[in-house]
Amino acid sequence: MVEEKQLTYLYCVTDREPKLEQTEALHNDLYYVHREGLYAVAGRVEELEFGEEGLRKNMTDFHWAKSKASAHEMIIERVMTDTDVIPFRFGTLFSTDDSLEGMLGQYGDEFKAILRRLANKQEWGLKIYCDPEKLKAGFLGGEERILKIEDEIKTSSVGKAYFLKKRKDALLERALNETIDACSRESFELLKALSFEARINRLLPKEVTEREEDMVLNAAFLVGKAEANDFLATADTLKMHYENDGLVIDCTGPWPPYNFCGLSTTEGQNG
Amino acid sequence: MGSVMTKSADVTLLEVLDRVLDKGVVISGDMVISVADVDLIYLGLKVLLSSVETMEQLRGSPFAGPMQEAR
Repeated sequence: MVEEKQLTYLYCVTDREPKLEQTEALHNDLYYVHREGLYAVAGRVEELEFGEEGLRKNMTDFHWAKSKASAHEMIIERVMTDTDVIPFRFGTLFSTDDSLEGMLGQYGDEFKAILRRLANKQEWGLKIYCDPEKLKAGFLGGEERILKIEDEIKTSSVGKAYFLKKRKDALLERALNETIDACSRESFELLKALSFEARINRLLPKEVTEREEDMVLNAAFLVGKAEANDFLATADTLKMHYENDGLVIDCTGPWPPYNFCGLSTTEGQNG
Repeated sequence: MGSVMTKSADVTLLEVLDRVLDKGVVISGDMVISVADVDLIYLGLKVLLSSVETMEQLRGSPFAGPMQEAR
């Protein structure tokens, strides 16, 4: 039987020797490639599964993508428990360990600079979701201008009521957008003030989030480990402040710093 | 402490996919695969980009500054 060709799958790069025995439950053949003070945590995968053709096919299989993406994340998170890491994107593959080592040599100085910048920091995520109907229901009970129009509608002719209702809907829509913007802005700015770096990512549609509510903010923050408690307490306060208004604030972490490890030379590709 | 954190498995999966498939270092060089080709196949949702743009247009662009920072 012909032996199947294997590829080298890169998970993350770090500057301390990683303790890989912790990760054995997830992946039996994790190892590292070492060069000039850097360690690349890698594993062997089958070319049939992860080669160009296989990966294209497998990525359309949600269960495959889900389990492999989760394993990718868990392996990096384990390594992250002892040291700072540069996480690589899912499916970063090399034909051989030598080519991985060559890449470590080529980008070594940049990786070291990134690791210095990331030292003792964590990524936290903030997503805000909005239930527009709940938010609008809140305005109906509180906004004076809207209440006044409601009263007028009750006593108006059909024709006038039609136009008043249109005005009421426009006011509601505007109040909705203002509240969403105020909540997003306040949350982002308050948390950014407690972070080293912050970025806003594209919103994900409902097909991806599988939530009833619309995503209205998707942000990531690079937070010092010493500031993490303050950061979480602030996120908690914001969450409680807005939850009755139909705005759901989800703060998650700590994550490997996926959003904060871009290489200057590949900026165009990183996101 | 930390009651704000979401622990539900589904939310976590969304968070994982949002990072692992879309963020993280991408390098070119002696690689077998350019992952940039793959992330658009992500969940079979090529519609993702177009629908996101639509959502941003609908809501306007409240974060001109940080948006540019991000992308």
